[in-house]
Amino acid sequence: MTSEVGRREAPIAPTITGPSLRSRIFGFGSIYGKTMRDSRRAVIATSIVLGLLLIGVSFTIVQQFNTPESRQELVNVVAAVPAILQGLAGKAINVGSLGGYLQYKYGTFLPEITSIWAIIALSGSLAIEARRGSMEFVSSTSTTRRRIALEKLGAHLTGQAIVAVVVFLSLLLVGQTVNGLPGDEITAEMAAGFAVWLFLLSVVAGAVAWACAPFVGRGSAAGIAGAVLFGGFIVNGYQAAIPALAPFANLTWFGWTANHVPLAGQMDWVMLLPVALVAIVLFVIGVEAFARRDIGATSPIPTPSLPRALVGLHGPTGRAIGQNLPSTIAWGLGIGLFGLAIAGSGKSFIDELGKATDFLKLLNQVFPGFDIKSVGGWLQLLYVEFGMVLAGLAAATLVSIWASDETSGRLEFLLASPLSRMRWVTSGGVAIITGAILVTIVAAVGIAVGAAIAGSEIGGPVLGSLVLALYAAASGGIGVAIGGVFRMSWAGPAVALITILTWFLDILAPAFNLPDVVHQLALTAHYGHTMLGQWDPAGIVASVVLAVGGVAIGALGFRRRDLQS
Amino acid sequence: MDPVIRTEKLTKAYGSHRGIIDIDLEVTEGEAFGFLGPNGAGKTTTIRTLLDHIRPTSGRATIFGIETTVDPVGIHRRIGYLPGEFALYDKLTGGQTIEYFANLRGGVDATYQKQLLQRLDLDPSRKFKEYSKGNKQKVGLVVALQHRPDLLMLDEPTSGLDPLVQQTFYELIREAKAEGRTIFLSSHILSEVEKTCDRVAIIRDGRLVKVDRTEALRDLAHHEVELRFAGDPPMGAFAVLPGVSDVTADGNVLKMRVSGSITPVVREAAKYELLDFVSREPSLEETFLAQYGRGTAEAA
Repeated sequence: MTSEVGRREAPIAPTITGPSLRSRIFGFGSIYGKTMRDSRRAVIATSIVLGLLLIGVSFTIVQQFNTPESRQELVNVVAAVPAILQGLAGKAINVGSLGGYLQYKYGTFLPEITSIWAIIALSGSLAIEARRGSMEFVSSTSTTRRRIALEKLGAHLTGQAIVAVVVFLSLLLVGQTVNGLPGDEITAEMAAGFAVWLFLLSVVAGAVAWACAPFVGRGSAAGIAGAVLFGGFIVNGYQAAIPALAPFANLTWFGWTANHVPLAGQMDWVMLLPVALVAIVLFVIGVEAFARRDIGATSPIPTPSLPRALVGLHGPTGRAIGQNLPSTIAWGLGIGLFGLAIAGSGKSFIDELGKATDFLKLLNQVFPGFDIKSVGGWLQLLYVEFGMVLAGLAAATLVSIWASDETSGRLEFLLASPLSRMRWVTSGGVAIITGAILVTIVAAVGIAVGAAIAGSEIGGPVLGSLVLALYAAASGGIGVAIGGVFRMSWAGPAVALITILTWFLDILAPAFNLPDVVHQLALTAHYGHTMLGQWDPAGIVASVVLAVGGVAIGALGFRRRDLQS
Repeated sequence: MDPVIRTEKLTKAYGSHRGIIDIDLEVTEGEAFGFLGPNGAGKTTTIRTLLDHIRPTSGRATIFGIETTVDPVGIHRRIGYLPGEFALYDKLTGGQTIEYFANLRGGVDATYQKQLLQRLDLDPSRKFKEYSKGNKQKVGLVVALQHRPDLLMLDEPTSGLDPLVQQTFYELIREAKAEGRTIFLSSHILSEVEKTCDRVAIIRDGRLVKVDRTEALRDLAHHEVELRFAGDPPMGAFAVLPGVSDVTADGNVLKMRVSGSITPVVREAAKYELLDFVSREPSLEETFLAQYGRGTAEAA
């Protein structure tokens, strides 16, 4: 044997080529590259949403407020907005200019959007892999855990940076091309100030989730970061109206950067440094925790379970409703709190609106024959549009939960019981529509409380808020149809996409002077002014048809296709 | 006796990907039928087609005389199914999951359900997502068994179960069979099929290559025979015997492979002074490997 070994020829060295630079950056050449590849849709979608939003809104502002007089009215109305909303809507500085108004109306919402993305991504980046088991493979390669964490983190930061660059370029484009009034120019410094601020606010929120996830798991980490995000936002916003909150306002980055209002021309670059510093510290904590702790070993924060009666163990419809219930309640509370804040500040608004006679005239032209000086009018102005976007996204969540029966593999079991495909789809559809109604009921409670605080009549706004149920049910029906006919994995994202596109259509069609028929494609254009008591039957009928018809189409479609495994 | 499961030229194509091709099967009432094949052979595709989870491209299948695409719910009422890969409700406990499926079916004997939990040593109070792989499998088994179905369709049922629980599972299968229920068990673990099944079908590359009784399949295969002679082994005398192949000599030991009857070898060996005679009965594993390793012509 020895001699045989001795005679054996030396093996030819295999030609091993390393991954290309391209695949290391985007592809399967590295953990960074794969994470970039995995998050490409989120990066593209967020970039498009924010870029188009800024461009579309800018055109709208310049078109609608095209005289110095109308700008002055705008300034007066913004000044009339009660303190309770000043913080939530942003600092009212130089709102007579394009940049100032952009910062005021949208500047505070955009970091929320990108922060939510950062929280979702960074709470789950490592935890999801640990839970599904793929981290066992990744961490058993020659890559250290620190490097795994750093590459994943680096990829997400790159994604956020790409979005920030798109925002910067969009603002530059707007600032250079929009033919506005003097003072509407947006300089490179202003655009950069906004983009950097947006980037830092997003990543610091994500950093909270990143640091917590190795200890408490994905869900709890996202919950903590979300609470810090929205808590900080609200405390900072309400400090003027509720002095007791003022001492806490500077606990988060919203307070630290309160004087950085870049699009209005007010810079406070220095106060961005603590945000960056905190983010770095939290990132280091997250990386070290992942490197030192057992993979996947977390101590989730206990959350209350649903009462047994609501879990839904008696049949498919009850189960589907029970499965949706936690999300239904969460969405209802979120939309309800938003409604409460708006409705609750209605009286102050009405008082201030009475003083801005010119702007009132303008509003009366948009809402002829309606009493816009009411809580209902205030809700119609500020609540309905965004409320419907939230209701659409709530529907997308409910559709995704229903669709997870198939995408997760549960349906293999369920449809091996005496449960027909038709019944499974209709049960899911009924649960989604019920969820849409429950979300609206919970949200309506918020509006009722807000209206009561404002001393307004309650019935009108509460009835008007039912438009959310119609829109969410219609969106749910569309989702069921898509899931039933095509693929369950498409259903939830499709509903979210349709919701965003509908919102865009509402904003951009008037801004770009698109034919009215294009604007009419948006379902939201057909409900009338429900908070003012005016309902358009076309919207009601269309919603019912989409909800019921969608479920029917989904049920019929699902009878014909194979289950996906 | 009418077959419980019957397929006729059952075919499922996934575009350019192979599914199953011209599967002809009959499983009779009360028998335990093993469905063997390596990963990707088409076992799960066959089961999912039988359950109407996916639709055949051509051919047909009936269960209890009902065409699978016509009244799947009528079939599902009488079956218990354990998928090869599955998920259930993460936020429900094992007990709640089992209760929900019992409610979907109706008529589940709570005493038997409790017995199953005890015998499989399953703690029903924990959330499904907290279970280990084996415990998740136990939940699936209870869901499949609790209503005492007329037909059990089990896809890789012992995956993740520890050996003790596997023994309990085999007992449950034997009991089900003793009660006259039919079992269709897909597996790539041959010893499992040997222990539990009356008949076996072997599927490879989407085609059935053999269906026979478990014992017959073993007999049809081969024996590994070793003869230790007092003197030089008479290699040529054995090499010409019918059914004998792969004859090799190692010192005074002659090894050969014998297909079919072993009688000619015994008669020839009796002519010589033998120190030892070893005939090893092939396991299904070896049968399976022979079936898969020696080309398709023989098998098909």
